[in-house]
Amino acid sequence: MLPTGIHFESYAAETRVLKTRRSQVWLAILVAALLVAPFFAGAYLTGIASEMFITLMAVYGLYITVGMAGQINIAQSAFVGVGAFAAAKLSGYGVPVFLVIPLAAFCTGCVSVLFALPASRVKGLYLALTTLAAQAMFPIVIYALPPGWLGGLAGMPVEPLTVFGLDLGSPARLYYFTLAIVAVLTVSVFRIQHSRFGRAMIAVRDNDVAAEVMGIPVFKVKVMSFFVGSLFAGIAGACMAYVLQFVTASSFTLFASVWYLGMLIVGGLHSPLGAILGVLFITIVQESLHKVANTLMQLGAGGGGTLFALTSIILGGCILIALIFEPRGLAHRWAVLRKAFQIWPFPRS
Amino acid sequence: MIKLIQILIEGALVGLVYGLVAISFVVIYRASRIVNLAQGEVLVIGALLLWTFTAGMKAAGWEVPLIISLAMTLAACIAFGLILERFVFRPLISQPAFAIFMASVALLIMLRGTAQLLWTAETRAFPVILPEGAFQLGPFLISTPLALGGLFSVLLAIGLHAFFTRTRQGLRLAAVAEDHRTAMSLGVSVRSAIATAWILGTVVATAAAIVLLSGRVVSLEVAHIGFKALPVALLGGLESIRGAPLAGILIGVGEALAMAYLDPLTNGAASGLLPYLVMITVLLVQPQGLFGWKRIERL
Repeated sequence: MLPTGIHFESYAAETRVLKTRRSQVWLAILVAALLVAPFFAGAYLTGIASEMFITLMAVYGLYITVGMAGQINIAQSAFVGVGAFAAAKLSGYGVPVFLVIPLAAFCTGCVSVLFALPASRVKGLYLALTTLAAQAMFPIVIYALPPGWLGGLAGMPVEPLTVFGLDLGSPARLYYFTLAIVAVLTVSVFRIQHSRFGRAMIAVRDNDVAAEVMGIPVFKVKVMSFFVGSLFAGIAGACMAYVLQFVTASSFTLFASVWYLGMLIVGGLHSPLGAILGVLFITIVQESLHKVANTLMQLGAGGGGTLFALTSIILGGCILIALIFEPRGLAHRWAVLRKAFQIWPFPRS
Repeated sequence: MIKLIQILIEGALVGLVYGLVAISFVVIYRASRIVNLAQGEVLVIGALLLWTFTAGMKAAGWEVPLIISLAMTLAACIAFGLILERFVFRPLISQPAFAIFMASVALLIMLRGTAQLLWTAETRAFPVILPEGAFQLGPFLISTPLALGGLFSVLLAIGLHAFFTRTRQGLRLAAVAEDHRTAMSLGVSVRSAIATAWILGTVVATAAAIVLLSGRVVSLEVAHIGFKALPVALLGGLESIRGAPLAGILIGVGEALAMAYLDPLTNGAASGLLPYLVMITVLLVQPQGLFGWKRIERL
């Protein structure tokens, strides 16, 4: 809902994300806050923030495949893994970072297309099962390849991140690196919705028969949605490789894929804002659980296993609650809250 | 030659165990149209319940005969199925398939967390329920628990098939699997169908756990079998109960052959990849599987 007196004369103006002057001011404040944050937050919080940005990149990808095109993908973590391994391998050859990231993203996209091909025959749940196969096959393949290729069981070290001879090893510098990339991805993901391709994906999601009748190449759009979603996953994987300095197949599990999907569902499937809110919400929940578990452990109760169990139960519970009570997610709640605030003192309809 | 036949027999018997897990998967789909990814976790919960009522109670000082433990496990499985129906799937009736699928994914991690919280991640010795050992058949050695389990899964498949196609109650479940809304408008209770589906699925999964784990160890890792059974269920056809053991034999034999002849060449990857490659091939070539209903959503 828009304030009184705002109206548009062109489609381009209508599709703009920041429709009013006030929203531009708020965005400027947010950007400034994000830029100065590392000076006030400690190394731990900065590290958490970089990790959160990387997760957000992967969830953006999932938003494109699942939220916009309606194709269930439960292998996002495996695709992130493909990106991470590609980045590790390429950086080992001494390729500079601004080539590594696009190349890793492209490799990931190509791998994902292989698993999107059954979309020519099946849809819905059955397509989800092929992505499940991708997730299950990923560690088997990595472990079975000769250790010289992708590190096998032991994993692979990654060259430290340098941009134009400047070493980006410290947490604050990694924070700015991931922030820059996530900013670019945020802009592109907000723009994709209003592009020709984005509208085609939304049409396929809403009714693929009708989309076909309107002349949209449904199969191509579905495969492309996997490709684009995996580009984001590949970028996330490359950043993860640089931040962690080490990649092993055991960090890219089905469990992580479920986490990504869970964040998207809790946040809201149908807007990029949902991805942001979901990642923020789940990260906050997870970190507060860490705090609680650490306090408990100091008191001598429970251990790491209990923490893991509790996080699983709470995340599963969040997904179920979101599915049952608010399938449109936190993004919808946010819109309702905003509207109530805007039309105050009138009651909300 | 004898080695080859021995491999085939062992593969077929292990495959029948996969088939049994696949039956538990198919039963839930066949009665409620829910693709339950959490089946491996359901199996682990069933196994841990049985462990609690046998070894766990023995350790606590209340030893009961095996038959009473089994009855208590059965009761616990029924309670588990009813709880899932009431709190997870009843609110989701007639929701899009995506929501129901995601609910099963959420259930997967929730059940894993619950199992870890209640029973912790340690490995435990599972009670010996089926007779141990192996018997000689001609020149071949056959494991007794696996043979009994295989026989059991074939009989169970025939029995359940008769239940789903011959009895009134079974036909009602088939109607629910066809379409929730139509079933409701014809006066079939979708709630009770979903509850029955989950009770049946949990009980069959627990039976599979008995065959799989008798005399071995149970840990949270066992849940992995759920993902091995998924290709089996898909190959047999998601709606076909009799297809599950047959597809199980096919996948089990294929896996055993790959393990014996291809694994040395591929550093152990072939047998692990085989079920999933079969799954993708099935989806590409014949999405309804060998005996499924030809009502697949396609472009």
